Amino acid sequence: MAKYGGWVGKILRVNLSTGRIWTEDTIEKYKDFLGGTGIGYKVIWDEVPAGTKSFDPVNKIIFGVGPLAGTGAPCNGRTAITTLWPTCWPKALVATGHMGGQFAAELKYAGYDSIVIEGKADHPVWLSVVDKKVEIKDARRLWGQGIRRATIEISQEIGPGAAVAAIGQAGENLVPMSVVMNSYSHSAGGVGAVMGSKNLKAIGVRGTGSVRIAGKKEEWEKLIKLHLSLLGANNQHVVPSSPQPWAEYYDAASRWKGSRGKMWGASTPAIETGTCNPHDLNRIAYRTNNAVHYLGDIAWKYTVRGNGCTGCPIRCHTMIKVPSAAAKYGIPEVGQNTCGGLNFGRSFFKTFPDGPRGMTGIEACMVGMYMSDDYGIWCNYSQLQRDFQKLYYEGIIKSKLEEKEFKSYSWDKYEKGDPSFLFELLPRIALKEGELGTALGLGTGYLLERWSLSEEEWKKSHGLNYWKLGHPKHHSNEEAGQCGVIINTQYNRDPQCHSHANFTRNGLPLEILKRLAAEIWGTPDAVDTVGAYTPMNTGKAKMAKWSLLRKELHDSLSLCNWMGPWVASPLKERGYRGDDSIESMLYSLATGDKKNRQELDQVAERIFLLHRALTIRDMGTKEMRTQHDTIPQWVYEDPSHRPVYTKGTTHLDKEDVKLAMDMYYEEMGWDKATGAPTPEAYRKVGLGKVSDELDKKGLLP
Amino acid sequence: MQQWETACLVVANIIRKKSEAGQLLFQKEIFRGLMDQKVLKSDNREQLGTFEAILKKTMKRNEDLKELLDKDGIPRYYSAEFMSEAYVRILLRKEGNPLLLIAEIVRENSALYPRPIPLDTFKNPPFELTQEDILACLQKISGQEKYQDIAQTITSIGTVFLYSSRHLDSDYASMLAEWLDVGQYNNP
Repeated sequence: MAKYGGWVGKILRVNLSTGRIWTEDTIEKYKDFLGGTGIGYKVIWDEVPAGTKSFDPVNKIIFGVGPLAGTGAPCNGRTAITTLWPTCWPKALVATGHMGGQFAAELKYAGYDSIVIEGKADHPVWLSVVDKKVEIKDARRLWGQGIRRATIEISQEIGPGAAVAAIGQAGENLVPMSVVMNSYSHSAGGVGAVMGSKNLKAIGVRGTGSVRIAGKKEEWEKLIKLHLSLLGANNQHVVPSSPQPWAEYYDAASRWKGSRGKMWGASTPAIETGTCNPHDLNRIAYRTNNAVHYLGDIAWKYTVRGNGCTGCPIRCHTMIKVPSAAAKYGIPEVGQNTCGGLNFGRSFFKTFPDGPRGMTGIEACMVGMYMSDDYGIWCNYSQLQRDFQKLYYEGIIKSKLEEKEFKSYSWDKYEKGDPSFLFELLPRIALKEGELGTALGLGTGYLLERWSLSEEEWKKSHGLNYWKLGHPKHHSNEEAGQCGVIINTQYNRDPQCHSHANFTRNGLPLEILKRLAAEIWGTPDAVDTVGAYTPMNTGKAKMAKWSLLRKELHDSLSLCNWMGPWVASPLKERGYRGDDSIESMLYSLATGDKKNRQELDQVAERIFLLHRALTIRDMGTKEMRTQHDTIPQWVYEDPSHRPVYTKGTTHLDKEDVKLAMDMYYEEMGWDKATGAPTPEAYRKVGLGKVSDELDKKGLLP
Repeated sequence: MQQWETACLVVANIIRKKSEAGQLLFQKEIFRGLMDQKVLKSDNREQLGTFEAILKKTMKRNEDLKELLDKDGIPRYYSAEFMSEAYVRILLRKEGNPLLLIAEIVRENSALYPRPIPLDTFKNPPFELTQEDILACLQKISGQEKYQDIAQTITSIGTVFLYSSRHLDSDYASMLAEWLDVGQYNNP
């Protein structure tokens, strides 16, 4: 029997240039990096030289899965796909896209902890992984097809239980704003074109094995029940959106929409969600309804059910059935997705004839999902749509396009909020047709460069949410003050970190949030309520560090950082506490490698520092504070000119944010002047060789 | 003796089930439940005495079961295991003046979380007021001194939120409402 549980033991390696397929031992080489982003960063560091571009054959794509994928731990369905990022502007740096669905578990059941793809095939291919039988297959008949057709054809070949991660026409055409998608609606943005550059249409995986749990069965089952009991709804919202008999608290903004009298109206027969008492672990799936969250109560009528990833009872991809969309637009009447994917089509429009939460908006969602999830177009956390609105309404599109091309779009339809406009726009992005389609598909940074527009203007605009390197903010000062700002400085795309926002938005009263904050980060002052921020303190720096490390930990274990961490819970009898050690308990029992919370956090810090080292190496500078960890001007400005740190404003003070970065670097043990990790910081987490290599290049502070 | 044991279990079960469904119970409803389940056979005076004894014994044995006396002096029953104090407060307020119900809920939200509350909240369970009721209440509220702290703010997409100026100033309430109604959806 293998020494460790959790991992299944092999990393699958494929060179598409040579056709070579081989495996590596996971434990020997990658155990200290867990899996997921950890393996991704390690492979890029070891094997992809600085200066490599996204579409170079020497660039690699790592489909990283962690030791908890496929185990039965709640929310274990994440695959982290790491590569040199094609929308990172002005040069490609390391980043990761994340997809849920069934791919991660299926890969484990096939006997692999991750897949590393390198090289470039000389014609379109797909990778067939059926347990030990791995083959590179001809994909010429699939090339030019959408994601759905590719998925169906591959499933027909290797079995209906297959998980297929495929790209659409956008990825094939090397459109940087493209995704890879599995299980109908679970996508990872930004990497579709990197697969396309390798002539890799899809990876189809079918596994018949299992994942061994090292610990005792009864202990594992008890732990799973504990974890389930701590779950809230999507984004770990731990209070319902309306008063329920069992609940002390509620928050209209919560994604916990289930309630007495609320029906999944498009199910046959219709299903009442019920009051969703948190002690009933068999009804967790009835809590979340993201269609209702985004589209309003009207969406109950169209709700079929929730859908989601392996091992996750949250079901955040709400399935809706909208016959009018099918009748009007000739698309399927059923669609499913969450957040940016659900709103992909709707977000292009400023207005709709029946208001922001009417039927036309729902139909725009249906059309958007149908097209973007088949062509495989990425929204970059809706930056694509925000850019589009600004470019159109400020007359920039008109000025940049030839008259003939401009007139080829039905702008009157667009202004009226007619979803059929999407049939004109989205295919042209995916197929790189015309100047507008080509420019939008580049991503913000390269679009600005192509059209000679100023990034500074984007950095000043409050409505655009633009942050840096061609990417937007993702849970910044608007909801987590200085902590959110720090987190948004750290990555080479939007940070996709939810550790902090899933705490500040969980719906509990401020007094309870502060009590929990004091227990986790040492002071109640670590958290403020939204729009009532106070000056920087050490608790906020600790919260920022904790948030980032938990994100990397989740991404490396295959736990969902869109759901965790689980430091708050819906349970009154626990004082609404969650358990800050749930990840280390799951890891220890699953793998048999016993690590407490602090020890596992140190592994997460190792992974995070390797990302930092990669960024420094590939940027060729140690001056991270001034060259990388930058903050857009809009963070410091309030359109209504309210004084900073008064109630009713989310803007921050420049000097205080400087202090915030000082305190954060200090908390991380990094050099405050440059923002670069010190040799000691690297050595503390076992990255001495990384430090030595950076030293040779003069990249240590 | 066995019959008494059974009767107490039935009573506890009736109260808990109703609490789970979000309802307070009056004695007469519990009595009717016992009749329906044939634990009591008729509603004569002797049976009433037996019922009171069963109820008393049940309440004594089960810590989660609570008796609540509102202003009218009529006891209501619920299980604290299945119904929170906050929900009980809502149900009691709902029995009275809807103006006061709205005002107290708005004040509670503004003070506790703190946040303004969407007007539509009052259409949904457990409030279940009609649009007409709500609008009528708002009209009356605006004219009464004891409700002068209840104010409203409208977001950029036209959603009405209510707040109490005792706990939130108008700028802050407007900003929070905009965040809750628009901002958070743009930052999913």
